[in-house]
Amino acid sequence: MVENDRLAQIIVGCKDGSNESFSLLVDMYASRCFGYFYRLTGNRAVSDDLLSELFVRLVNKIGSFKGGSFEGWLFKTASNIFHDYLRNKQRQKKLLEVQKKQFESKLTETKQSNNETFDKLQMQLGKLDSDTRELIMLRFYSQASFKEIAAIRAEPIGTTLSKLHRGLKKLRELME
Amino acid sequence: MNSRNWENPEQSFEDVQKAEEILRKHPAPEPNKELIANIKAEITAALLRRQSNTYKRIIYKAAAVAAALIIIMAIGLKVFEKNGGENESVIATSIIPEAIWESDCLADDDTNLTILNAEIEQIQAEIIALQFGDNGDNGSGAITELEMKLIEINSDFWKG
Repeated sequence: MVENDRLAQIIVGCKDGSNESFSLLVDMYASRCFGYFYRLTGNRAVSDDLLSELFVRLVNKIGSFKGGSFEGWLFKTASNIFHDYLRNKQRQKKLLEVQKKQFESKLTETKQSNNETFDKLQMQLGKLDSDTRELIMLRFYSQASFKEIAAIRAEPIGTTLSKLHRGLKKLRELME
Repeated sequence: MNSRNWENPEQSFEDVQKAEEILRKHPAPEPNKELIANIKAEITAALLRRQSNTYKRIIYKAAAVAAALIIIMAIGLKVFEKNGGENESVIATSIIPEAIWESDCLADDDTNLTILNAEIEQIQAEIIALQFGDNGDNGSGAITELEMKLIEINSDFWKG
């Protein structure tokens, strides 16, 4: 309850344009949001960019938060940013279709040069379909209720629960 | 499908929790401190931009309100003048076109005026001639003739 009151105060401060309140918000959510982006993209540099974009977007969008679950609202914004990123990537891929092989090899080289090693979980997450992967990450990092997640994804709660259950079951199998 | 998976909700929740335990055991990397500092700096810049945009918006709104007020006042004044001074308004215009007044060439402006002017000049010349007796016999004759006619009219009058 105290935590909720504190969050409410911080949000009011953010709406008033307080730099300090935004700073507190970053401290509170940066880690979880970064984890969400990292598990979805598997790329640290991209996750850095998406995290920056998320918080800068919050500065202009915080006024549109009209109460309810802040985590739900925050991760919906994060999800929108991730989808924008996917769309841009898709567009880039289409533009560079002719040089696809070169592009992919460059990506591999970049990953290798960054010494980015994927943990077992990241590798197994890559085997799940993108929608299930996103759902699992949304649930885990937002800590929102199933009802809120269903609302964020604009789908019936039964569908959300079913997809999540199946996805997590598959992940468990992959990890064993 | 949904109902089949969630026939036993307790079991399903347990499944979800067990699976999420895997995620807890494999935490994602933390964001760099540098990144957090950069984000905070970007937020400061974005807040400054937002503030300046707010001031701009206020100025534009004030200008728009002022413009609207000026327009309303102008329209109001016009309507007031129209209603209040309707009977007093007199439109003064000249019958003779302004161009004629400004022109020096009479012949170009009106032929009637030219003829009239010529006749006036002729009469003036005759009057001058009569006064100075330049007209010779005709001038004195005309006066004598006029006097004779006057006597004749006078005598005819008394005769009945």
